Amino acid sequence: MSAAPATATGGPDAGGPVPTPRDPTPSGAPPDATPPGRPAKEPARPDPAGSDQAERRARASQSFWTAVVGVPAVFSVLRLGVEAGGELQTTLLLVANVGPVNLLAGFLTTAARLLTTALVAVFALGAVLGASVDRLPPGRRRRPLFARWSEITPAWFVAASFLLALVTWPLLYLPLLVPAAAAAFQFTPERLHERPGPRVLIVAALFGGYLWLLLPTLRDAWSQGEPLPVLLLVVPPLLALAIAGPLPGAVIRPLASVTQAAVLAMLVWAALPVISTPVLPLTVTTVGSGSGATEDVRGHVVTTDDVNMVILQEQGGVRYVPVDQVRGQVLCPSEEELPRHRLRIHDFHVEDSLLEGLGRRVRPVHRIDAACRAVG
Amino acid sequence: MNAPVTGSRVRSIATTLAVALTLTLAAAAGCDSRQESDLPSVQEKLRETHIYGQAKLRIGVATNEPLMGELRNGVYTGFDVEIARYIAASLGYEGDQRLEFVPVSTEDRIPALQGGMVDLVVSTFSITEERKKLVSFAGPYFVTTQEVMVPLRLKDRIRTIEDLRDPTYKVCTSGGSTTEAELEKHQVKALVVKDVGDCVTGIRAGRYDAVSSDEAILAGFLARFPTEFEIVDMPFGTSEMLGIGVPIGDPALRDLVAFFLHKSYQQGRDGQTSPWLTAYNRTLGPWLRAEKRQPQPLDVPKLVDFDDKAPRR
Repeated sequence: MSAAPATATGGPDAGGPVPTPRDPTPSGAPPDATPPGRPAKEPARPDPAGSDQAERRARASQSFWTAVVGVPAVFSVLRLGVEAGGELQTTLLLVANVGPVNLLAGFLTTAARLLTTALVAVFALGAVLGASVDRLPPGRRRRPLFARWSEITPAWFVAASFLLALVTWPLLYLPLLVPAAAAAFQFTPERLHERPGPRVLIVAALFGGYLWLLLPTLRDAWSQGEPLPVLLLVVPPLLALAIAGPLPGAVIRPLASVTQAAVLAMLVWAALPVISTPVLPLTVTTVGSGSGATEDVRGHVVTTDDVNMVILQEQGGVRYVPVDQVRGQVLCPSEEELPRHRLRIHDFHVEDSLLEGLGRRVRPVHRIDAACRAVG
Repeated sequence: MNAPVTGSRVRSIATTLAVALTLTLAAAAGCDSRQESDLPSVQEKLRETHIYGQAKLRIGVATNEPLMGELRNGVYTGFDVEIARYIAASLGYEGDQRLEFVPVSTEDRIPALQGGMVDLVVSTFSITEERKKLVSFAGPYFVTTQEVMVPLRLKDRIRTIEDLRDPTYKVCTSGGSTTEAELEKHQVKALVVKDVGDCVTGIRAGRYDAVSSDEAILAGFLARFPTEFEIVDMPFGTSEMLGIGVPIGDPALRDLVAFFLHKSYQQGRDGQTSPWLTAYNRTLGPWLRAEKRQPQPLDVPKLVDFDDKAPRR
């Protein structure tokens, strides 16, 4: 069983940079074109199976990359329709004025969390299922979809996804990344030290330091009667100790199908707010008329030319405001940005990501203009 | 042979549990991120107030109290006016288009709030138990003491409360003020007029000999006539807490005003320039004998706002 820890991360070679599953044979298998533990090891018809494997891999690779590139593209266009309030002409107005680069950048800004969550979930589950696949009953060794996906993905892409998640996830959910990473890279505590004594000490020291860092936050959460933040901050690092390794044969199939459905459901569920997140920033424009009276128009500025400023109003409808009537304009926050927790980790709000927290330190003063409050 | 098998089984059960728990926590995190916030927000409170959707905010201020609330050449100035502007801007009413100052005399402050003539009163309005039965208060935003101002010709003769009891001196104060009650408590017979400004005019015309009121109000008149008056420090023993008057039926508005006063207090405490400090330095600051700081507002609700995620340090 000594070969087990060495099988964790994928190799960097171009053909099969895969997290290879555990090898069921006691000693190392002879080097082979296909990774060990694959159905292709059945010796009866090596050639057709090999080409079948290659084809499957190519298909899986294709479907994976299609999803990675296609989903954001489709979402970006779909949300324009939602942003326009379902009106065809307004959608066309937006399409005419929002450039593809802006659209994609806007989408990535708001959907980076969703994308990284989906990728991290796929890679973590895929690696766990991949490591367990040799425990499947013989003859039913078709590898689960996520396992195939995580195998064909280059290691750098997995690492990049985790890195992106690290900087875009809210701090409160960041501890979940620890078991996810341990699962994706099949990182067991045995890797820390070969002897159990020092291993326990290292783990205890790491966890102690982590708790010491979080102690003020945990105390606040406890005094505010919020058990979920306490659980989310404390439990996941402990789970990371046990998450790597093969699953029992009986749970692999159900887990694979349930999690596939769950990840899909999560995508749909989490995609709804992302689709309805505006592409354009929310502003309040003060419009003056000849008589001196002013009016505040709350909405998103689509475009401005020499004659008109085109505003997509928050409540719906497009308004063309003559440029010479514009008295002022302010940028406003939307109510979705209001915090849901009153907790901080060393002055970083738990709902901020590392990037957002850093940004707030660069521009610490936040002023809410009066006009933003006035108009409902 | 048996031990490794058992170990491996335990290991795979642990893995299963870890996977299941991680997925559960992830699902809980997902639900948490989609949940509506149950913390009360400024925006939510604003929707509960009677001013929500109103085109203009009407604030009752004094027009004849220099440094506090004064109308000069059609422009309202003074500490109270500056505080009123800050509160109005925080509530979403900024600029003359959206903010209307309504002149209220000392005795009209409560009826103006009760009758809906004004939405708020910022006019050296002392917080008292009696008044709390009729209107709500947010604050205090200023703590002052009761003092007496005398013309220079009498500055050596009126030095104590005992001197004020001398019937040869005519002491003047404004009706419906806390000073009126305080003088009565000390058996000082006072002549009651509409505003402190009338007392000052009366003294200059020779009708009265002394005027008693809040130090902040008297400092204003001293600033206007620095060569004619002097403030005499008398031990009345009570401090006046000035608050912002809000209609008693609108607790949401009271909470919001208290919240914004507290925001300014917090900024001042953190060593930043606060709206209160700016207002103070521009008006009262140079004219008071001792430097003052913003008092801590009472009964401040905990509300979340858009700037809650900003760094505190």
